[in-house]
Amino acid sequence: MIELKNIYKYVTVGGNKTFLLKDLNLTFNEGEFVSIMGPSGSGKSTLLNVIGMLDGFDEGEYFFLHESVHKMKEKQRSQLYKQYIGFVFQAYHLIDELTVYENIETPLLYQDYSAGERKAMVSDMLDRFNIVGKKDLFPEQLSGGQQQLVGIARALIAKPKLLLADEPTGNLNSKQGQEIMELFKKLNQEDGVTIIQVTHSEKNAEYGSRIINLLDGRIDK
Amino acid sequence: MFKNYFKTALRNLKHRKAYALINIIGLAIGIASCLLIYMVVKYELSYDKFQPDYARIYHVVKANKYAEGINYNPGTPYPAVDGLRQDFPETTVGSIYATYGSQIAIPDEKPNSAPKKFIEEEGLFFADPEFFKVFHFKWLIGNESILKEPNTIALSKTIAEKYYGDWKKAIGKMIRLNNAMDLKVSGILEDVPNNTNFPITLVGSFITIKNNGYYGYNADFGSNTSNYQAFMLIPENVPLTNINTRLEEFSKKNYRKSLTISKGHELQPLSELHFDTRISALGGSVTPYSVLTTLSFIAILIITMACINFINLSTAQAVTRSKEVGVRKVMGSNRLQLFWQMMGETKLLVIISVLLAIILAKIALPYLKHVVSIQEELTLFTLTNFLFLAGIMFLTTLLSGLYPSLILSGFKPVVALKNKVSSASIGGISLRRGLVVTQFAISQILIIGTIVALSQMNFIREADLGFNKEAVLMLSSNTDSAVLARNRAFKNHLLSIKGVQNVSFTSDVPSSDNTWDTNFSFDRKKDEDYNLSLKFGDEDYFKTFGLEFAAGTGYKKSDTITDVVVNETFVKKLNISDPEKVIGKQVRMGGGRWNTITGVVKDFKTKSLREEISPILIGSHKIKSDKIAVKLNSGNLSTTLKEIEKGWNAFYPEYAYSSFFVDESIENFYRQETQLSLMYRVFAIIAIAISCLGLYGLVSFMVAQKTKEVGIRKVLGASAINIVYLFSKEFTLLIGIAFLIAAPIAWYFMHDWLNNFAFHISIGAGVFIIAAVTSVSVAWLSVGYKAFKAAISNPVKSLRTE
Repeated sequence: MIELKNIYKYVTVGGNKTFLLKDLNLTFNEGEFVSIMGPSGSGKSTLLNVIGMLDGFDEGEYFFLHESVHKMKEKQRSQLYKQYIGFVFQAYHLIDELTVYENIETPLLYQDYSAGERKAMVSDMLDRFNIVGKKDLFPEQLSGGQQQLVGIARALIAKPKLLLADEPTGNLNSKQGQEIMELFKKLNQEDGVTIIQVTHSEKNAEYGSRIINLLDGRIDK
Repeated sequence: MFKNYFKTALRNLKHRKAYALINIIGLAIGIASCLLIYMVVKYELSYDKFQPDYARIYHVVKANKYAEGINYNPGTPYPAVDGLRQDFPETTVGSIYATYGSQIAIPDEKPNSAPKKFIEEEGLFFADPEFFKVFHFKWLIGNESILKEPNTIALSKTIAEKYYGDWKKAIGKMIRLNNAMDLKVSGILEDVPNNTNFPITLVGSFITIKNNGYYGYNADFGSNTSNYQAFMLIPENVPLTNINTRLEEFSKKNYRKSLTISKGHELQPLSELHFDTRISALGGSVTPYSVLTTLSFIAILIITMACINFINLSTAQAVTRSKEVGVRKVMGSNRLQLFWQMMGETKLLVIISVLLAIILAKIALPYLKHVVSIQEELTLFTLTNFLFLAGIMFLTTLLSGLYPSLILSGFKPVVALKNKVSSASIGGISLRRGLVVTQFAISQILIIGTIVALSQMNFIREADLGFNKEAVLMLSSNTDSAVLARNRAFKNHLLSIKGVQNVSFTSDVPSSDNTWDTNFSFDRKKDEDYNLSLKFGDEDYFKTFGLEFAAGTGYKKSDTITDVVVNETFVKKLNISDPEKVIGKQVRMGGGRWNTITGVVKDFKTKSLREEISPILIGSHKIKSDKIAVKLNSGNLSTTLKEIEKGWNAFYPEYAYSSFFVDESIENFYRQETQLSLMYRVFAIIAIAISCLGLYGLVSFMVAQKTKEVGIRKVLGASAINIVYLFSKEFTLLIGIAFLIAAPIAWYFMHDWLNNFAFHISIGAGVFIIAAVTSVSVAWLSVGYKAFKAAISNPVKSLRTE
């Protein structure tokens, strides 16, 4: 599904190149659940942003579903990730001014769904996550775990093939974290969603089928 | 999608009430000011536009060209009208005579009861039928042909109702004018609109006064009065240049040539009549274009300031909106969608502001007439006003929304999500600094303008006019023989009233807009090149007005001009050094008799302070002295006034009592300036308020941005004072820069304005100091609260939030 070949990303500070990603070669297959681990500053989040096409890279090649992302224009890239990728963040990143229902609906607004379709899809999602009763609440009225649940629901609403999660349990207590991880596992196994997550926790990493360790922008073997 | 945006926008407004409120209030005030100014300017420009031949009507003015320049007189000599008709047969020449303060008596139906008396201050006109062929007014009964007959008059509907209750009953009734002539009501005119230079309410046939000579008709090209004016309607196929050339020939033919002066006629387009201050209009007021441009300029400044506020606050706010932008981008929104979302939010704010502005304008509308000289209440809900508002709405949205929307929609999602958007990446502090400087420069210009205008008006009010204007009551009297016979007795009666000091029969107060100019010769020499102004008053004139003599004395009691008094300017203009030297010399006005000078009065202001003092001659001339000046003692004024009125009614029962105070009539000279300075004041306050709103918003944002810096500084030992200073020093500096820009601009404009006055103040450093101090203290007040709050905050708290 995803193939990264010789990916380099660096910043130039005072004439010296500091590498954020250095010569990465990775392949992710459809249906995988991969955990990326590593200490702070090892490039985990950068790698995830590159995969999610939110951030660019300086050298190398990136194929997504056999299309070469590195040759695409901004607009094509955004079309691609809009369609295939869902994001989950450590800080949930819900829009404070929108209700649970509206937050989940937002991605659909940027794709061509009619109002009726949107309603059906959001209702489905609310059902599936058991949050129908909370649909008119605003993010600040929810607990952290519940907010993250909404965040995941929002990431999945447009039926992405790939779910990217940047420390999804980082702001949660261990019980909430465990629930989220169970949900990920279920999504991966029952719905066949490919998941790539960044995490600090060994325990959470174990939920994945494969673990990639990063150190200073390189794969640590 | 729209619903989602709309909800976000509304909830955003609710969430950030303070910002929204500042934006909306600022914009609403700006838009309301713009709307009102637009209405005023539109109204002023609409004068006489309803005339079907508007573009082809010209006012025939008298132009006397001297070496120093041209002197315009709105009047035309009586015979010139017939001359013009003869030499310009293809045109229509109409003429009209105006007189003010006439008494109209309506005989009562019942026998032996006193007639109803009215004083018509607004003007009584006499016109020829041609006037109504040049200008079209609607007749309800009759038409202009009734003006062919002598002793006929047409009334406006309102006046007819005032006199007779029902305008339809007025036709055929007789009215008595000034107890001198009887006129038959032969036509009724629909009320003329307010926006006309010809506020005709009563119009008699011109042939009446031509025949009876009551107002001094004469067939001489040598004299003219501003009360008699001629208008020419030029046919479409005749070019103006053709008329102008022939008008020059016409002038050459009819006026005596001289080396130093060339007299003649020029045409003033009707479209200039309401705006040209050199030539006073008949009845309507004159509004110079400069007032309209100043107003429009102020409107633009104020709306600009409101937009600047908007831009400043929205870009400052952008940091807090960055997360939403980031999330939406990750969710798949593209830049254009986000741009329109932000523009939509601006639009929403602008719409709310416009609605508020309409309410504000509605509230302010009745007060408008105190600020500008518009008598009628303008209507707010007209199509053009709505089009104007729509335009303003579009422009404001564009001006204030474009930049912030571009900035916000351009955020990189990764940066935006990590809350790493710095103030530098949203257009930089320098842009906002520039905008703040602009705002403060504008408000300082207005502050300086206000102070200068106010001090000039004070200067005028307190200026020594050279005579005593306080507590002098003027009565409008008449000069028919029946009145003249009783004058002496009435004067004695007035003097017997307790509280009356002096009484004088006169033609005019010392300072007035009325001019009575004539050519003259001094000491049996040739006529001088300039004119002499005349005022008539009996022997007590000097005492009544407290005029002082530089040489000689006043004259003895006389019914006609024999001995005369001149002023110092008269002496100076003749290049005579010592006023004593003119005593006993003789002077002749027009082609009249020689009169002996008995005294020279010290100069007093003969006109408004806009104009230089003119050379003047004062003589006693009973038949022209149609006013009575009564100098009162201060104290118990109301009793004295009642006594005077009682006396009037006893002595002159056939005339209505009408009086005014001299100091009030002098105030009237400066009505336009007073209004202008009031306007400056109002808009300066609005401008300052808007810039303070903006400043307050900006500082709150800066405080929010610098929370961490403040925390660190406090941990390192900074005191509250240090922190307040940290915030204030930048704004003080910005105001300083704004002042450097504003001061020269304001000086330039106000210097120009002051030059309208022959007598004016000079702009001192004080004005600038006051302006600078005002804006610094106002800024400090709005910055202070927020800065102080930041300074006393707990550093542990502020650092933890980071």
